[in-house]
Amino acid sequence: MRLYLGILERSRPDQTRIFAEVDGKLLDLSLACATFLARVRGETNAYEFASYYFPETIAGFLLRGEQALKVLTEVVSFARNSGMHDLRGPAGEKVVYDQREVRLLPPLPNPERSFVIGFSDRARTEALPKAELPTGFYKLPQTFVTSGAPIVWPKFSEEVDADACLAIVIGKAGRRISPEQAWEHVAGVTLVIDITARDINRREGATTNNLLGKNFPSSTSLGPAVFLAKSRKELEDLETELSLDGVTKQKFALRDCVFSAEQIIARWSILGIKPGDWLAIGASMALQADRLQNPVPLKLGSVIRCSSPAIGDLTHTVVSLGGLRQ
Amino acid sequence: MKLATFTHQDQERLGAVDEAGHMVDLHRAYALYLREIEGNPQPDRLAPLFLGRDMCDLLSRGKKSLEAARKALEFVKANPPPSNAAIVLNRDHIHLKSPVPRPGALISAGKNFSDHVAEMASKKGPAAPVAFLKLPGTVIGPEDAIPYPPEVKNLDYEVELAVIIGKRCVDVTHEEALDYVAGYAAFNDISARDIIRGENKTGIHLMGKSFPGFAPMGPYLVTADEVPDPQNLKLWLRVNGETRQDSNLGYMIFKIREMIAYWSQMELNPGDVLTTGTPRGVAAGRKAGEPPWWLKPGDVVEAEVERVGCLRNRIVAE
Repeated sequence: MRLYLGILERSRPDQTRIFAEVDGKLLDLSLACATFLARVRGETNAYEFASYYFPETIAGFLLRGEQALKVLTEVVSFARNSGMHDLRGPAGEKVVYDQREVRLLPPLPNPERSFVIGFSDRARTEALPKAELPTGFYKLPQTFVTSGAPIVWPKFSEEVDADACLAIVIGKAGRRISPEQAWEHVAGVTLVIDITARDINRREGATTNNLLGKNFPSSTSLGPAVFLAKSRKELEDLETELSLDGVTKQKFALRDCVFSAEQIIARWSILGIKPGDWLAIGASMALQADRLQNPVPLKLGSVIRCSSPAIGDLTHTVVSLGGLRQ
Repeated sequence: MKLATFTHQDQERLGAVDEAGHMVDLHRAYALYLREIEGNPQPDRLAPLFLGRDMCDLLSRGKKSLEAARKALEFVKANPPPSNAAIVLNRDHIHLKSPVPRPGALISAGKNFSDHVAEMASKKGPAAPVAFLKLPGTVIGPEDAIPYPPEVKNLDYEVELAVIIGKRCVDVTHEEALDYVAGYAAFNDISARDIIRGENKTGIHLMGKSFPGFAPMGPYLVTADEVPDPQNLKLWLRVNGETRQDSNLGYMIFKIREMIAYWSQMELNPGDVLTTGTPRGVAAGRKAGEPPWWLKPGDVVEAEVERVGCLRNRIVAE
């Protein structure tokens, strides 16, 4: 099941809604749920309960816990059984949309913890097994974009590259979680492209920092959907790929990674984690023929595409700020 | 003005400190002004549109929010409301939070005082401003305890000035940089040195700077008009009354104007916070043989900046 966050035409920018992809269409979950509750359960306050289960954000939905996940399954099978095309809200509202009718947003736009687990250049070039800890860095939510948005080349850099990541999305709050219990806290996964101004990053790395090189506008692509899945079995073989102008440059799965999702959750949950937080595991952590995969250098006009069959794809064109203004 | 965020009867409120040191609830005071002076029939609905929901929202509303706050303060000074209106509050009845409880971005300068660079055994100061992100969720206020995590062996302090951004800025010049500042607060960049050492072997430091409660900030947001020369302010830090750091922001390597100009390359927004970096005197700078200065549960740390205020927090074992 894929969940999207989007805005409908004629809606205010703060009126975000959660959609599920059903048979290639996007289902407005709050309204579909209202119809389900009114018709199937005879609920008289269907709108109110529906907007409790499906609030304005996916993080808010995850906060509602197991009960909301169960309602999601019921609403989706109700929608399928009703024949998607004919489904309407309780007062006749439209609830089924084509993808192009919805403006998609980064599915988790304002997490408290949005970490990329990675290595510095030093670790990348030295022998890998030396890395004892899954270190990480924080990507500021103000840098997030999703599929279709331009990646704007930062004018302070000569050297920009991209790394494909698979982000573990947290579904249940916790702190100091053991590796054995880690999967209980996972809601699913989404894709991340970590864009880096490498020349700046190298200079900042000399003082064991990275900030400007990783946190300029559009330096984090997130989405397009959260794929709900909560077991290692479902996720460890998911392949994530990054292509540049149609040529595959990176390809990995969780099973290839230096640190397991369990180890990463155990380590970073020391600070506490909560629904909507994410931990992105980069292609650079995946061993391929005993080597790390390197970040993919970009040029103005490059088209990058990060994809995974279960999640969808993030596609972007790299532009200059001047090009964007024209 | 001294702007604040506080809780009263479990509700988070925006406030400003009056001349007697009492806390004025800004929404209620401005609503009273709107009703009494402007004859507005629904002032409780209108006041939040001027003042915003919280401090970041207040700052993002620009000049009109600060003007509304000023009017509210003047009005209750001239027309003291009854004490049961919960407009002017006794300090004992509120819990003071950080003035900006959740900044958009919290950007802390590193290696920005030459005496601190030397004590940390770095060869030389940096060629460009150095900074790292602390998680915005780590911010706590002047009346909160700093939790001492069981994972940490070497807990350290760093007194700094917090510079709170009031207007969106991208690629601004040094000359105009201070026009984008809403105000200032004292800041203590709590650091777990042993965790940072582990992280720095293969990565960058994040966890060691971002345990819950590692960013005390406050006590107030002192508006920029009350701090005409932020680059010339003394700052101190005391542990259990004993002075550990004693310096002046004049010794910063990259000045406040330069920091704002540089970091505006990544886009700064209202409610983002830049901190200045710290002078010498941190526990990590102690030489072998000297008694260690690491913080322990029970210690009381006071971080103070001239004209801006003193931030006093107790360390409490988690």
